[in-house]
Amino acid sequence: MSDRIVGVLLALFAGWYSWEARSYAVDFGDPMGPALFPEILAPPVGLLGLYLVLRPDPDPEWSTGRYLLSQLATVVALVAYALLLQPLGFILATLVMVACLTAMLGARLPQALLGGVVSSLGFFALFDWFLGIPLPPGLAFGG
Amino acid sequence: MDILFSLAHGFAVATQPVNLLVAFIGCFVGTVIGALPGIGPVNGIAILIPLAFSLDLSPVSALILLTSVYYGSMFGGRIASILLNIPGDSSAVVTCIDGFPMAKQGRAADALAISAISSFVGGTLATVGLTVLAPTLAMAAIHFGPREYFALYVMAIVIVGGIATGNPAKTLAAGLLGLAIGTVGIDPATGIPRFTFGAYELYEGIDFVIVAIGLFAISEFLIYIEQRRTGPIEQVPVGRRTTALRQLTYPATSLRASLLGFVIGVLPGAGATLASFMGYALEKRVSDKDGTFGKGDPRGVAAPEAADNAAAGGSLVPMLTLGVPGSGTTAIMLGMLVTLNVQPGPLLFQQQPDIVWGLVAALYVSNVILLILNIPLVGLFAKLLTVPSHYLMPGVVTVSFLGVYSVNQNSFDLLLMVGFGVFGYLLRKLSIPLVPVVLGIILGTPMEQSLRRAMAASGGDIWTLVESPLALLLHAITACVILVAILREAGRRRNAAAVERGA
Repeated sequence: MSDRIVGVLLALFAGWYSWEARSYAVDFGDPMGPALFPEILAPPVGLLGLYLVLRPDPDPEWSTGRYLLSQLATVVALVAYALLLQPLGFILATLVMVACLTAMLGARLPQALLGGVVSSLGFFALFDWFLGIPLPPGLAFGG
Repeated sequence: MDILFSLAHGFAVATQPVNLLVAFIGCFVGTVIGALPGIGPVNGIAILIPLAFSLDLSPVSALILLTSVYYGSMFGGRIASILLNIPGDSSAVVTCIDGFPMAKQGRAADALAISAISSFVGGTLATVGLTVLAPTLAMAAIHFGPREYFALYVMAIVIVGGIATGNPAKTLAAGLLGLAIGTVGIDPATGIPRFTFGAYELYEGIDFVIVAIGLFAISEFLIYIEQRRTGPIEQVPVGRRTTALRQLTYPATSLRASLLGFVIGVLPGAGATLASFMGYALEKRVSDKDGTFGKGDPRGVAAPEAADNAAAGGSLVPMLTLGVPGSGTTAIMLGMLVTLNVQPGPLLFQQQPDIVWGLVAALYVSNVILLILNIPLVGLFAKLLTVPSHYLMPGVVTVSFLGVYSVNQNSFDLLLMVGFGVFGYLLRKLSIPLVPVVLGIILGTPMEQSLRRAMAASGGDIWTLVESPLALLLHAITACVILVAILREAGRRRNAAAVERGA
């Protein structure tokens, strides 16, 4: 079933991709225009999609329950980290993110916090001070 | 004579203090990346690329850094195989077969030394091969036109993507998706923005670094969550060597496996992992007279290690001489060079000999550094394996974010990386390979460029692509590979159906 869904998505993607590419024709009949390459790519993608719909592989074991929840929580944590890195600054944001992930992987809370503190300060020292790659200082250093 | 002269010049570049330092750091970091299960060479190198950019390394230093990491990871992979029976990366899987039994018998230190020595032999012989073969191949490739290049790119996408393993339809779809992602951004030839949805962040295209780190490193974390091992892992202590170093070299074994590994490495599509499997299989056929393989035979440790290091060296040959990568790791190196405005290929040997020969010389140096690092200091790397992964994995995620952030300093890229992480996770679950996607993104631009040049020269006739005999030959080879893959897949399905009926 999973493969059939992938196949349908691929076929739809191919259709959209080719349709979108056609709108890039600079001049009618320009053989080397920006539409050519995408238009060459689209048909095989569509055909492979149809093939997967007709001949799918057996389904993989999708994760469920606790594992699926942890994965969703991880994605939420990573998205939050991506958004908060600049406003909160590297040290604070990293501390929270690493502590959350570590706790989720099974460490106890004090251990997780320790992991967060060590990683955030350690990486800040290594990258910002030692290697000279500027990281967002944010709140922790008074902005 | 020419080669020796060039090589001497290369050594002058490689022994500059900054390059020696970079090689040393690369070897160290590479060994760590190889040793730790969960970070393979591809994603380790992807994470390091943005750091190489932000440190403003010159192209030659950046390339030395990445190849030292690559060679180092081939050395490091065996440590976890031998001590934990868990391969540090996929090319070290076979090393478990005889390495772990040796460790159980109290010969862990011997096994580590054997594998370090044979890795050194494999790596050095491959570098010799590279020194001799690369300039010759570059001379031949100088006559390639856009049609031949187009054919080579098609071949790379099809073969390197690993069509030989798994479902060929999925591999091809992955490569095509990569090429499609590569078309996002302003078309370099006409200045028209394509597939950008009006988002100006996408005008410059999607940086392959973001895609590679997302696909490999972030998805690895998601996979790790569901495969989490419960309970502590038992590590065999390193202990002391029971045999003199001199007796731990297996010259015949290393030589055989190195030759095989180098050839496999040069050929597109088959990387270090396949080389280590074949190296082991060959050695078993030649030497396993008393049935000792699988029970801790030292030759079973030496062979795959020599082969995978030799393959790593071999895979640099097509990348440097043709600009067409022979593996996922070299594809990422190619992407980095292009970003630094260095176009690998036959002209590189004439126009920028410093880069080519500096790199080749640095590889000799790196091998020596790795041998030194890996014999006395192996205990240090073994200690690293005891760091619990709930500290390690979030650390890897942090470095991934750092790397991507340092490219453009915006959160759009970070979100894009997380998005590709989820995408990569789904692809892995569906057994759709990731390497072709990255390869497609990296090769998309030059592929489209060669297509345009070929068609411009013929006035827009698409048949020109197959009118050169060499291009036709390359396309024929690609077609044969696809055909074989389809037949094999059909056979696999028939077998699966037969099993189902029988049961």
